[in-house]
Amino acid sequence: MEGEHKRMSYGVEGVESKEMGKAVGVSACDLAMRVLAFMLTLVAAIVISADKQTKVVPIQLSDSLPPFYLPFTAKWHQMSAILYFLVTNAIACTYAALSLVLALVNRGKSKGLWTVITVLDAFMVALLFSGNGAAAAVGVLGYKGNSHVNWKRVCNVFDKFCDQMAASIGVSFIGSLAFLLLVIIPVVRLHPRTW
Amino acid sequence: MASTDLEYKSSSTQPLPAGVDYFKADVILRFMLLAASVVALGVIVSSDQTELVLFQGNLVPQPAKFKYSPAFVYFVAAFSVSGLYALISALASIAVIQKPEFKLKFLLHFIFWDALILGIIASATGAAGSVAYIGLKGNSHMGWIKVCNVYDKFCRHLAGSIAVALFGSIVTILLIWLSAFTIHSRVPK
Repeated sequence: MEGEHKRMSYGVEGVESKEMGKAVGVSACDLAMRVLAFMLTLVAAIVISADKQTKVVPIQLSDSLPPFYLPFTAKWHQMSAILYFLVTNAIACTYAALSLVLALVNRGKSKGLWTVITVLDAFMVALLFSGNGAAAAVGVLGYKGNSHVNWKRVCNVFDKFCDQMAASIGVSFIGSLAFLLLVIIPVVRLHPRTW
Repeated sequence: MASTDLEYKSSSTQPLPAGVDYFKADVILRFMLLAASVVALGVIVSSDQTELVLFQGNLVPQPAKFKYSPAFVYFVAAFSVSGLYALISALASIAVIQKPEFKLKFLLHFIFWDALILGIIASATGAAGSVAYIGLKGNSHMGWIKVCNVYDKFCRHLAGSIAVALFGSIVTILLIWLSAFTIHSRVPK
């Protein structure tokens, strides 16, 4: 609700804007977080999309015949969970770039836009964390397999593929922590006295 | 959102009736989160199923339990934490209605913990969802066969539990939105 009685105390590095009816400045910490989140999700998306490994696996049909060799390729798009992980990282990366531009353009002009950005920040936290959880679950499945349903593990064969996937998930997790801090830090800065 | 009824005074302390709609919406959403967590937990914990499967040439009864997969175990743990948190914060929110001078302080704490719980719940939903999807469709590239054609009750329970978990995540997002919106419209300066 834009109105004259709205006040915000969210200002630039300790300088608080007390004017009535004026909306927020944007802190340098907020912008730095957005840049960090953008870079981390971009790196995670690139690393996982470049993840490919081909291994030649000897297949032994019976003991009398010599084993013949088949090349097997592990690529990220073979698993739907990894695709979902890539999509969420791409969405988060685009959103971080857009909100960075908007926050720079919007210095203290429109309150409604700031509310929308905060709202979308919270939504991105959920999306990114769910993508991380999905990829991590599939990664654990690849590392250990699941003996109860006879799903064999694949990471003993495709070790580089699994290591790269683990690195990408780790980077994306730090990116999602950055998004989480983007939600929490403005709230903390709003009332430093009450903490 | 509950902001249409908010009134403002120029003084620094906000009077009580301004946020009554927010209080009610907050308590209702927290009880919905509690209900969603409890339902998701109940449905997944009761999902055990035993079927006769062909295993190394013999027909043996093989059980399918949620604890056979670490993703589902994490799902159960995460929603236990979320259910406990929802209960405690719902009671705290009700208590704050009686004493509205603590409201702003509680709102700040709520946003912090809500955001943490959202992260935990969303990752648990994603993890359980991805493993359940592999169970549903299998993965021919990795050599993982699908199991939901055999264990149908197990998969139905999983699907229901994950759907309720998704609803719980949306409720948590709404809680964060509500708290942020209320803080930024009621900041006394």
